[in-house]
Amino acid sequence: MPHDTTLAKTAGRVAPGEAGRVSRPDSAGEASVPGLDTAASLPTRPSDHEDFRSLEAGLDRLQTDPERAPSAWNRFTTSVLPPIVFVVALIAVWQLYVVIAQPRPDIVPSPLAVAAAIGDAWEAGRLQLAVLTSLERGVFGFLIAVVVGTPLGLLLAEVKPLRRAIGPIISGLQVLPSVAWVPAAILWFGLTDATVYFVVLMGATPSIVNGLIAGVEQVPPQLRRVGTVLGAGPGRLATLVVLPAALPGYVAGLKQGWAFSWRSLMAAEIIATGGTIGFGLGSMLDQSRELADLGGVLATILVILAIGILIELAFFAPLERRMLRRRGLLVAGAK
Amino acid sequence: MSGQTAIRIEQLGKRFGAGPLVLDDVNLTVEAGEFVCLLGASGCGKSTLLNLIAGLDRPTTGSIDVPAEGAAVMFQESALMPWLTARQNVELALRLRGVPRAARRGEALELLDTVNLADAAEKRPHELSGGMRQRVALARALAQDRPVLLMDEPFAALDAITRDLLHEELERVWRRTGRTIVFVTHNVREAARLGQRVVLLSSRPGRVAGEWRIAETAGRRIESPEVAALSIEITEQLRKEIRRNAA
Repeated sequence: MPHDTTLAKTAGRVAPGEAGRVSRPDSAGEASVPGLDTAASLPTRPSDHEDFRSLEAGLDRLQTDPERAPSAWNRFTTSVLPPIVFVVALIAVWQLYVVIAQPRPDIVPSPLAVAAAIGDAWEAGRLQLAVLTSLERGVFGFLIAVVVGTPLGLLLAEVKPLRRAIGPIISGLQVLPSVAWVPAAILWFGLTDATVYFVVLMGATPSIVNGLIAGVEQVPPQLRRVGTVLGAGPGRLATLVVLPAALPGYVAGLKQGWAFSWRSLMAAEIIATGGTIGFGLGSMLDQSRELADLGGVLATILVILAIGILIELAFFAPLERRMLRRRGLLVAGAK
Repeated sequence: MSGQTAIRIEQLGKRFGAGPLVLDDVNLTVEAGEFVCLLGASGCGKSTLLNLIAGLDRPTTGSIDVPAEGAAVMFQESALMPWLTARQNVELALRLRGVPRAARRGEALELLDTVNLADAAEKRPHELSGGMRQRVALARALAQDRPVLLMDEPFAALDAITRDLLHEELERVWRRTGRTIVFVTHNVREAARLGQRVVLLSSRPGRVAGEWRIAETAGRRIESPEVAALSIEITEQLRKEIRRNAA
């Protein structure tokens, strides 16, 4: 209806027909409901405002629940106790089998024999040396992977053509077992620490890069829009909005990156021994195998496993839990 | 009210790529300090128009004049940063406006008090109800300190009781701050309750199809008879516009 459009245009200033019509029912309404309407809508100003504030505060109270953090005991019984009970049961069954079936001790050592092997290694100082060497390499290699992976991930996340070109290859590298790099690394770097670090780097970096890309991709578009509306340029949009919003994906990538670092490190240490490569847990594992010392092998496997779990529990789990709880992504008591 | 023009839209047209016209020959002048409600059914390009005014998008034809300082925008979803507290969310807007660090905290708390949320300043968005989140978003929009406030169906996702209260809250904030407000909605009663002017947009393409001015805006409630009367009148016109699409 074109005439409507022109009418609306003129309605602004001259205010003919339409506008006049509206103000009439307005005043008529007030006249027809005397007292009630005016009393409800126009009381004295300050108390009116106070009334409104208490009304709003009441509604706010009704609509929010105080957050109940799970008690320490609750956490202990729901997330700490079950795995401990399971492990103890497993060891009990193992010991029971050894006692009842009496298998050859060099094929099925008892839990006590494995514990003794750990004790022996500790006493000889080999265990401490191996743990320290491996842990140092694992952590240092992981940090290098973080330093390499983070800018690479950011670059790929923000530059679409680059991501289309390189993204699939990075994802592919994540599938490639990093042990596959060991022979190449030995040929390139010889039996040196560089070989170990190279393998760790190739193992961990793709996870970190992919985690960061996934994190940036999952940033809700309205947060970017708000950032723009608030006046953030590309730089501050990235540091103040996109990066913090992408943090959950990034931390997930770091966690996986650590797991891959640790695995790659063990693979490298088992295969590449000798030369200037120091004595790590992988080397210890390989040495025990050469001595056909199954107790020592199992003991080393348990230590490798324990360190992986320990770092996860002591570092990544609290970091992740705190971050998710702050963002309301962790339902209290659900775990 | 004061007679100064805040937003002038002339012969505005918008289409996305080679698609159909979304907005066609829209003419609208909003005066400084005015509260205008843009009303229309789905597909009338309300949000497109708002994005154009906000400068988030460019018009295909015609022109839009907005104050040089730009406009603050509030969306249907509060879009608060989930990792920041209510106060920090407001402070983020202050920071991006260039307010020095030392002044931010006090100003943020003041703005939160404006929307009656001073007690919830240290809460994170997930600990707040939907209405509280929209109030934080309002405080954040006020923190931008722009003369124009654009609102894109900000209360559409809220329950009726909360929405009523937020209408009152918004009206109070408008009277106190003298902002120019352009409020997009598909809720006729909401438009009749809030606006000094209600602008009806037709659908596909969006054109101005009618306009109402409300002379006396103080003391209105959603249940007021004058709001009901105006709603009936607007609804009739709106249905006429919708019916045209059936043919």
